[in-house]
Amino acid sequence: MRHLASMLAATLLAGLPAVAIAQDTLRLRMNGDINVLDPIATTNFTIRNASYLMYDTLFAMDAQYQVQPQMADSVTISDDGLVYVITLRDGLTFHDGAPVTAGDVVASLERWGGVDGLGRVLFSKMDSIAATDDATLTITMSEPWGLVLDALGKISSNVPVIMPARLAATPASEAVATPIGSGPYQLIQDEWVPGSIAVFEKFDDYVPRDEPVSMAAGGKVAHFDRVELTYIPDTATAIDALIVGEIDWIEEVPADMLAFFDGQDDAKPIAARQAGNSMQLVVNHLNAPFDDPLIRQALQHALEQTPFLQAAYGDATDRYLECAAVFFCDTPYASDANTDRVLNRDVDAARALLDEAGYDGTPVMLMHVGDIAVHDAYYSVLKPMLEEAGFKVEVQASDWATVATRRASKAPVAEGGWNLFFTGWGYVDQINPMTNVYVAGACEDGWFGWACSEELQQLREEFAAAATEDERVALAERMQVLTHDLVSYVPMGQAFPSQGIASNLTGFIDSPVPFFWNVRRAE
Amino acid sequence: MPVYLAKRLLAAIPILFLVAVFIFSLAHLTPGDPAVLLAGDNATPAQVEAIRARLRLDEPLHIQFALWLADAVRLDLGTSIYSNQPVTRLIGQRVEPTFVLAAVTLCLTVAIAVPLGVIAAWRANSLLDRAIMGLAVIGFSVPVFVIGYMLIYVFAVQLRWFPVQGYKPLSDGVLTTLHSVALPSFALALVFAALIARVTRAAMLDALNQNHIRTARAKGLGTVRILIVHALKNVGVPVITVIGIGLATLIGGVVVTESVFNIPGIGRLTVDAITRRDYPVLQGVILFFSATLILVNILVDLSYAWFDPRVKG
Repeated sequence: MRHLASMLAATLLAGLPAVAIAQDTLRLRMNGDINVLDPIATTNFTIRNASYLMYDTLFAMDAQYQVQPQMADSVTISDDGLVYVITLRDGLTFHDGAPVTAGDVVASLERWGGVDGLGRVLFSKMDSIAATDDATLTITMSEPWGLVLDALGKISSNVPVIMPARLAATPASEAVATPIGSGPYQLIQDEWVPGSIAVFEKFDDYVPRDEPVSMAAGGKVAHFDRVELTYIPDTATAIDALIVGEIDWIEEVPADMLAFFDGQDDAKPIAARQAGNSMQLVVNHLNAPFDDPLIRQALQHALEQTPFLQAAYGDATDRYLECAAVFFCDTPYASDANTDRVLNRDVDAARALLDEAGYDGTPVMLMHVGDIAVHDAYYSVLKPMLEEAGFKVEVQASDWATVATRRASKAPVAEGGWNLFFTGWGYVDQINPMTNVYVAGACEDGWFGWACSEELQQLREEFAAAATEDERVALAERMQVLTHDLVSYVPMGQAFPSQGIASNLTGFIDSPVPFFWNVRRAE
Repeated sequence: MPVYLAKRLLAAIPILFLVAVFIFSLAHLTPGDPAVLLAGDNATPAQVEAIRARLRLDEPLHIQFALWLADAVRLDLGTSIYSNQPVTRLIGQRVEPTFVLAAVTLCLTVAIAVPLGVIAAWRANSLLDRAIMGLAVIGFSVPVFVIGYMLIYVFAVQLRWFPVQGYKPLSDGVLTTLHSVALPSFALALVFAALIARVTRAAMLDALNQNHIRTARAKGLGTVRILIVHALKNVGVPVITVIGIGLATLIGGVVVTESVFNIPGIGRLTVDAITRRDYPVLQGVILFFSATLILVNILVDLSYAWFDPRVKG
């Protein structure tokens, strides 16, 4: 013990420099932990973000939300729109040294198509997918479907990443234990501490595309030799670490901590408008009282977005906006159609609708998530608003794991069911009617809440088959009108969280998904 | 002594079994389905069922327990539901930071607390005694995360003597490791030192009132010699008992400290396993913690004999 104490004293007295930062290392603090590196086995955004470092994709979305070839060199589509022949770029190599073959691509896409929502639709409309030779794969559709490349180039969870066929043989529900990709960085398996840190090094055999970088597309040039993704659970600690230079980037800085950066030269917050997200109040259509559309519309009248946004994001008014557009504001399918009930709180109108519907005081059961700060803040506003409008409210508090399980129950409330819960989606997951879970109208086969509309289902089919963008815009607007009448959910506004970044980093890509190629440290 | 040790170790087996039954039951009775969490937002009910079947979560609980126990006795604690990594590997990665943090904290604690407790007893009821005990009360009352943030602000952000966060493994060099855990260890040591200083003072006061100390004083021995040589050994048993409890707490995982200073230890692994309903990890960690706790207790019991020869196994 004496020896240990003397060593400690020596350390203290030596006053070692706080940290020796290697200039060739990029250190990133993610919102969550990195327990798994398989973006097919989970929809978790942290895993999605981490996976982009090590996996590549066949196609990728550019800054104009257009799909471009990535691992693909070219794609030809037959005149009848049924056959897609995709040729791979030369020189694609996995991190274990094996060449990427069309067989690997087919196996990877099949695994993805078994779990991803859009992937399942794609595969349901597919006759076959096969490797014609090592560099070519052929997809044959059973009917023309306009979203084949959109599906293969989707940017958010689940991302159709490419991995060796032997790993793609892993059941999609089971994470690949030793992940291998072909992206610009490779995992250093020995340094991976699941739940804490994942370390990557530059993959020397990666050949970037020639085109300039554009969101997920273009040349992925790795400027750092090493990238460390860390999960620092405490945000205040993470900001301090950024300020002193121990890390280079924080995925999200809460609004009430922006003041930490005041007077700091070496680190700054940046508004991540592209990385916006939103909260939604999900309504269970199967249980009373919300099995009555009038009572669901009374719910819309009972709420307004700003108090919720203020509760979660404080007075950083430039970081959020009221928005009732089903496909997000400032997007190709944004619309203000049929948003009056959502945007204008009217307690009298809510009470009138409740009277008209003959609301009998059936308690509304809220599943209150206490272990996620934003959710917790939203629930604190919800209950008094509902009560003021005449709803009787019952709250059941628990953690997210419990709510995530209970929300699958279609039983009455007394038998383990529910009425309302909040959830959040990223901007990029909702801008497309094919991936937006609230416009499916798929009844009991659909997403939680089980909103039911045959017309919505039909509109979705028409959207996928639409020939022009104008047609799609019109269909999307009609979907919004129906969705707000149906009250699949109540939108709770958009937020644009701040990121924290070292002042000497340049080349950061403005994107809904944080990418770390193209980033470099200023000389 | 070897017989005593063997008996204690054998007696630990039924305790570990009961702990295993209790933890298994508690984990599986907690609401929340790992298959649902694993499947994600877009999964169909059929996919969730397939996951449940693959993980054998659809088997009756006693079968699941029997399967798990059969593996556990072969030291196979299973595979994480979420990450698909062996539980023993996950625990193995977290052991070093936790043990280093515990060991350094313990050394700092003893170095701070025992001298303060001895001085307070020696100057009982004086201003110095009151000052030391007052500080001890403050140390024990202030939440460790508050102390942590203060230490970070002063020594990491302002003075930049120590890192804000993170753990450097022993393979990077002992000094580097000690440098990385200095602040969290000191934060924890302040809390534990407050407790141990009070226990030391009480035990020391008791010792100073005993006949052999009075005899030593009558013989004209110096104060330092009386305190160190004749009295200090008498405080060993109560102090080592408190240290044992503190060590068990530290090894069990001081979650707040590990979170504030980003130390990837056992505590955080446990919390992550709970939030994900990652049953194999949770069961493995609790079993590991229980075994460690039992071992610490045995070591504490054995050390009694050294401090007080009247205590024999």
